[in-house]
Amino acid sequence: MSIMSYNGGAVMAMRGKNCVAIASDRRFGIQAQMVTTDFEKLFPMGERLFIGLAGLATDVQTVSQRLKFRLNLYELKEGRQIKPKTFMSMVSNLLYERRFGPYYIEPVIAGLDPKTFEPFICSLDLIGCPMVTEDFVVSGTCSEQMYGMCESLWEPDLEPEDLFETISQAMLNALDRDALSGMGVVVHVIEKDKITKRSLKARMD
Amino acid sequence: MASKGALCGCIPSQKCANKKPRKLLAHRVVSKMALASVLNQNCAAFSFGSRQTTAFDCGPGLSGVGLESTSGDNFRFAIRNPMRPVVEDGDVESKIQFLHGTTTLAFKFQHGVIVAVDSRATAGSYICSQTVKKVIEINPFLLGTMAGGAADCGFWERMLARQCRVYELRNKERISVAAASKLLANMVYQYKGMGLSMGTMVCGWDKRGPGLYYVDSDGSRVCGDLFSLGSGSVYAYGVMDSGFRQDLTVEEACDLGRRAIYQATYRDAYSGGQVNLYHVHSEGWTRVSQDDVLELHQRYKDQA
Repeated sequence: MSIMSYNGGAVMAMRGKNCVAIASDRRFGIQAQMVTTDFEKLFPMGERLFIGLAGLATDVQTVSQRLKFRLNLYELKEGRQIKPKTFMSMVSNLLYERRFGPYYIEPVIAGLDPKTFEPFICSLDLIGCPMVTEDFVVSGTCSEQMYGMCESLWEPDLEPEDLFETISQAMLNALDRDALSGMGVVVHVIEKDKITKRSLKARMD
Repeated sequence: MASKGALCGCIPSQKCANKKPRKLLAHRVVSKMALASVLNQNCAAFSFGSRQTTAFDCGPGLSGVGLESTSGDNFRFAIRNPMRPVVEDGDVESKIQFLHGTTTLAFKFQHGVIVAVDSRATAGSYICSQTVKKVIEINPFLLGTMAGGAADCGFWERMLARQCRVYELRNKERISVAAASKLLANMVYQYKGMGLSMGTMVCGWDKRGPGLYYVDSDGSRVCGDLFSLGSGSVYAYGVMDSGFRQDLTVEEACDLGRRAIYQATYRDAYSGGQVNLYHVHSEGWTRVSQDDVLELHQRYKDQA
């Protein structure tokens, strides 16, 4: 049994016009058995910055906590909010420190620059290779399904409402084709002046 | 019918073992063998030599059906079903994963037999389909459920339907559930160890009342009042055991079966889709309902 599919899970992020959206499923399971349907995989790391972690659940929690620790120190030393690109490097560094015994997670970062409000999304692999894209990033046990959905549904310069619809449809339909992810979806849409958190009604099987 | 025995290319097994047939002949022998075994029941399992690999082309990840421990470069990366214990001694216990991820149940009560199944098929963690028909209608009085390999279940239950019809014609009387399940069990027993994967419940109503038998490709045939099969069976058992009484009404029994499958789809990753419910009574079987699990979820949440 693969370690990355032991708990299951999926996250994705999309870029829109002056906004980003990040979504995750809510299932926490141990192989075939579902344990809870309210497992957090999206963590706020700044006023307009979120990280989504898919993979082994224990590492999801550990990495988010250790990252928050490093981020807090950064903010105290620098006296300002971290930029998304810098945060990506911080995550990359944290993961590469464990190059020969890695954290089994594949993070996805979505946020707006604290000064210019430029949207930013990126993903990393489990040992910290960063990948910045202009459109969407996906990660999890159903990544192939998510790539297919995103590739067909995404278009550039979507307004926040349309971006929400797009990411929701992409998530819901990709999750419906994966046995190890699902049981609900959480979507955050991050704009310059607000963050909207919505839970979607999804198939619970 | 007797002539068919002579046509069968596979009379005693010793003859078959000595031959080195070409690919075409191997294929013909295999299909004839199936017929012969059904009709004559005297064709012992023939030994498998190298010809076995040609007849079965089942896609990646499947160890050659019927082969003992294969040579190093062969299909040793077969998908392992996490639900089943690993068989260490190179035994060709089926390594096909799909449809063991399922939940099917059947139980007897005073008004007959309730059969409830889910409709999801998975290959690994990929959901291949959410609309699989896992109840096979053998004849208007007999139902069979499907768990394990879809092809195996479908084929052998269709063969069973054929045999039941022949019985009816010969004896001018409907076959009993016990006899039908015995026919199926004997058919698949001939292939024991060759990698068939079939776990089925034969349900019907005969002159002894409601009948329910569990038959599988290992050769088990067990009579009982209540069975559940598949990866989600543990959850279904819990619900069924707490709600089951002999004196349920038809409505209550249907609700119990539906609820049990629904709970299994909720907890088990490999079960889902729709709940198909059948009721077997003295006049045959009736398809009671097909409910999408999403709707059931809403319904039970509103009820609670």
